[in-house]
Amino acid sequence: MSAATGKRVAAETPPKSMSITRLVWVNVAKDLRLEWRSRDVLNSMLFFSLLVVVIFSFAFSPTADQSRNMAGGLVWIAFLFSMVMALNQSWARELRNGVLDAYRVSPAPAEALFLGKCLGNFILVILLECLMAPLFVVFYNLSSVGPLWQLVVIALLGTWALVVNGTFFAAMSIRTRNRELMLPLLLLPISIPAVGSMVTATTQVLTGEGAPVVQMKFLAGFCVVFTTACFLLFETVLNAE
Amino acid sequence: MKSPIFYVLLLITLGLLGWGTYQAIMVAPPESTMGDAQRIFYYHVPAATAASILFWGNFFASLWYLWKRSPVADALAVTGAEVGVVFFGVVLVSGPIWARYAWGTFWVWDARLTTSLILWLLYVSYLVLRKSSEVGSTSVLAAAMAMLAALDMPIVYMSNRWFPTNHPQPMIGTPNLNPEMQKVLLWNMLAFTMFALLIAWFRFELERTSQKINQLHLRKAAQGISMAMLAPLLLFFQDDKALREQVVQHHYMVAGYIAVWTIYIGYLLFLYSKLKKLNREAAAIGLR
Amino acid sequence: MELQAGRFYVLRGENGAGKSTLLRMIAGLNEPTEGAIHIFGTPNRQALHQLGYMAHAPLLYDELDGMENLRFFAQLYGMNSDVPLAEAMERVGLDPRLARRVGQYSQGMRQRLSLARAIFHSPRLLLLDEPFSNVDPDSALQIARLLAGMRSAGNTILLVTHQVGLLADLADEFLLLSHGELVDRGPMPGAKA
Repeated sequence: MSAATGKRVAAETPPKSMSITRLVWVNVAKDLRLEWRSRDVLNSMLFFSLLVVVIFSFAFSPTADQSRNMAGGLVWIAFLFSMVMALNQSWARELRNGVLDAYRVSPAPAEALFLGKCLGNFILVILLECLMAPLFVVFYNLSSVGPLWQLVVIALLGTWALVVNGTFFAAMSIRTRNRELMLPLLLLPISIPAVGSMVTATTQVLTGEGAPVVQMKFLAGFCVVFTTACFLLFETVLNAE
Repeated sequence: MKSPIFYVLLLITLGLLGWGTYQAIMVAPPESTMGDAQRIFYYHVPAATAASILFWGNFFASLWYLWKRSPVADALAVTGAEVGVVFFGVVLVSGPIWARYAWGTFWVWDARLTTSLILWLLYVSYLVLRKSSEVGSTSVLAAAMAMLAALDMPIVYMSNRWFPTNHPQPMIGTPNLNPEMQKVLLWNMLAFTMFALLIAWFRFELERTSQKINQLHLRKAAQGISMAMLAPLLLFFQDDKALREQVVQHHYMVAGYIAVWTIYIGYLLFLYSKLKKLNREAAAIGLR
Repeated sequence: MELQAGRFYVLRGENGAGKSTLLRMIAGLNEPTEGAIHIFGTPNRQALHQLGYMAHAPLLYDELDGMENLRFFAQLYGMNSDVPLAEAMERVGLDPRLARRVGQYSQGMRQRLSLARAIFHSPRLLLLDEPFSNVDPDSALQIARLLAGMRSAGNTILLVTHQVGLLADLADEFLLLSHGELVDRGPMPGAKA
């Protein structure tokens, strides 16, 4: 090994190629790569959802009509609890080996970390939903009266609404004891309006009774309000030491 | 509490509480359909008013804390949340007792009740967050949580207005109050608001002291109290119509008072035990 | 407390004296209860690109390999080229082409990669918390020489360690902390003039 010689002194000003979009993408790519290498989040989410589907199917054995009325609530509850697992795990990864400190010490802004985490979690949960959807159809004889595109929009908006608050509260619960318990405890009360809305909208589409447009607008509003609030408050929460 | 003003206000408050309760039970005219059971209204509504004042206090204190990081703001925030949760808990306990009589059911998922329950849950989770977070990050995290909770409230309210459920909408709101009842209500509002603010002041001082000692210990004196509350509740679980008709309006009123004052006294005992503990610690390190 | 640029400081003190906490405060991870921290004239939180921090924990992702880890952190500093990263790995004695996941590295290798992570962006101020623990004596010497080289190049180094002997010739000054306060400072005993 050659003896170390001094290198040029670093520039005074930070380099320019650090737009938030780019950094968000860097974070998302890293999270997805980590997930791909270990696959623990996806596996635990899938397994949990599967369990919920099977158990409820035993308990209720609904007809096609009945299932249209029930499925909305059931599906979203299953996804909500699976999501909690994903959220806890995604931050737990940052705490192993203390890597989060390395991020905080870098000049990259905290908001990019937040959005990156949200997007990463969002992608994982959407993936879960895509994988679980055919299972629900099979187990509950589910068929939709209303148009499918509406279900897609509801799923996208609803998932984001839950993920954005969830990521934020998961970051908060890093600094608590009972980390895994704190997250659902903090997340669920705040998400009640969103969950209620999602379930109502999904049921409306499945049964064909009632137009879910109002619900979709509400969900969109919810997403905007909370994304903004969490985005603004994240740095404070990350550095709360 | 060192300040003499506190004791003067304490006497006044106790006097007002006594006067208000007397008025509520003896003086106010009985309501046409509900009779004595309606008297729950005279402490149910004031408790709700007091709780909203306290929760607003928490909101502004949290905002102030995020801006200035002042420990006084943090103490005010936790005071507002904790005392507010207690008074709102009274609302959520006295309401169903009255509802069981008036509507035959403890609970309905209509707009106002659902909103109230969610609000209470939000603040309970605020308190849980405060309790289980690492020292040093508690205040900031809690203040951020308070912001989100405050943002959620109008949303919850709107969502309940826009999406009515299938349940029947019972008449909750103010009945056409005859002026006699109105007077009694106002006296009670004054009495309970002062009661709430006085407890809040006490709680605030406790918090400031414990901030200085930098140690928080919580005794669970409240647990024994809640066991005592269960006994009368058992009576109300019977869904036997004949039995329910036997249990007279009067009993509901009494049950309401017992439940509510158990909560208040329980909380005061809890604060008292906390105070004793803090005094011991303060003496140990020479603060007094 | 004031420190001069371009010098190599060693932080000493018994366990719990607050050495790690001091480094964390300078790095912006903890807030000081009083006062503010400035680095080269700017508040520390605005000068993060000039800081390199190495903690007791490795601060690395177990599921990624060496270069992938460095690439991620490099992008946080706005650097897109692999060249300085490979250089940093070589300087600490690691092979940049090693595709092994960090989770399977030995302790010493992890320590060295962590150091590489702290220096790849050529920071003007280096904060190191026990960089020599878990490292064999030869590598320790190598790292010490690497640090001395950086100091000669004009960088400032603040290092916490219990192995003071290793740095007797190389460091400029020592700072002694006790119970969270600076109780003594002065030139390294045994340092060359």
